[in-house]
Amino acid sequence: MGQITNSFLEAFKLIFSFDPELIEILYLSFEITIIAVLISSFIGIPLGTVLACTRFYFRKAIISIFFALMGLPPVVVGLFVYLIFSRSGTLGWMGLLYSPTVMIIAQIILITPIICCLTFQTIESAHLKYREFFQSFHIGRLKAVNAYIIDSRFELITVILAGFGRSISEVGAIIIVGGNIDHLTRVMTTAIALETSKGNLSLAMGLGIILLLIAVFVNVAMIFVKNKFLNPSNQDL
Amino acid sequence: MFKKNPNININNISYSINGKFLLNRTSLDISGNGITVVLGANGAGKTIFLKLLSGLINSDNGKIKTHSNDFSFGNSAMVFQEPIILRRSVLSNILFVIEKIQPHQKIMASELMDTLGLSGKDNQNAQTLSAGEKQRLSLARALITQPKILLLDEPTANIEPTSTIYIENVLRRKSSSGTKIFFVTHDINQAKRLANDIIYLENGQVMEYTKGSIFFKKPTTLSAQKYLSGIISDI
Repeated sequence: MGQITNSFLEAFKLIFSFDPELIEILYLSFEITIIAVLISSFIGIPLGTVLACTRFYFRKAIISIFFALMGLPPVVVGLFVYLIFSRSGTLGWMGLLYSPTVMIIAQIILITPIICCLTFQTIESAHLKYREFFQSFHIGRLKAVNAYIIDSRFELITVILAGFGRSISEVGAIIIVGGNIDHLTRVMTTAIALETSKGNLSLAMGLGIILLLIAVFVNVAMIFVKNKFLNPSNQDL
Repeated sequence: MFKKNPNININNISYSINGKFLLNRTSLDISGNGITVVLGANGAGKTIFLKLLSGLINSDNGKIKTHSNDFSFGNSAMVFQEPIILRRSVLSNILFVIEKIQPHQKIMASELMDTLGLSGKDNQNAQTLSAGEKQRLSLARALITQPKILLLDEPTANIEPTSTIYIENVLRRKSSSGTKIFFVTHDINQAKRLANDIIYLENGQVMEYTKGSIFFKKPTTLSAQKYLSGIISDI
């Protein structure tokens, strides 16, 4: 019990003294996560929208594959990306293994299906709701799709936040492809794993507290968006 | 005085799902003017009839002709039973259906809002309107396209009397200025107030098409007599 209390105290000391090592790890974690979420959103939101609004051969099969990809085991993704970017792999010549770039690539593979499928569900429900109305007023496809996205903007914010939450807490894939190298590829989750194994519980605990606070913040933000903008009795523009 | 519209000719249209006919070999020659009220019990085929007219669904066979390019279903607008409101302001909702907004259309939108009791709500979030106001907004949005034919599917089913009065008054005015109106309702008294002619449907068949005054005084079919006396319930 005393050890836990001491670890907590040490952790808070590290946080409030803005420990340079901690700040560096935090900065890299946010950098990787934000870039991965942005790229995944740029891919996933249009893809989900296209799947929701168009009809073509094998559409249902493609949707099923994307839903299956939502549950991709991170370590398998990590291994897959490792094999591609390792020296003997297809893209080994790029020399990206154990770099933040390859960590971002692994994150994108993990998050894009989540953002795509959640977008698909959101836009499809808007499409089903508005379809006859748009058809009766001869609204063009581009204008209709634009309206789906604008009218679902708050739902899409929660989709992006869900992607962010998934990405920031990811460890399995990025520890394989990033290698957890100090000052280069060490992020919060991989650092927690390493520091715990080393017995340096105060840094691990400090990072754990910050990660927990981020997770709480993301969930509170999602609940706020839902209550503030998606509650029919309390709708702002 | 407005120009008299040509008749709308419905020739042998049918609509079925999985072999079950929801509208069966319907042929009618409907006046191109006035308000045509469509009556019938639940499942009679009223909404299907309206959707076929608007082109939202295609008939299995047969044709609907209007004998005029100007007066056609390509220039129609529909108001649904459940108002579909976009998540934006009242004014933006009205102007959404216009392709390229001209200054005079903004003035027209403002006039329509006044007429339908929505004045001063231009910038209000349309989602916060009452059910009746939402339906009035739907009607304003339909009218801004200046449709030659207006189709309304039970627009006053779930709204308060004030909104019903607003809507009925506007419909009478539009009808007398030359817009052909098809109006589906379950409210017999409303049908009496509005109808120039009545289409009475039962099980996907047109049982009667006649002047409103005649239909309510002397319905010719037993089914219509039962419907008017409340024996065939629509609830």
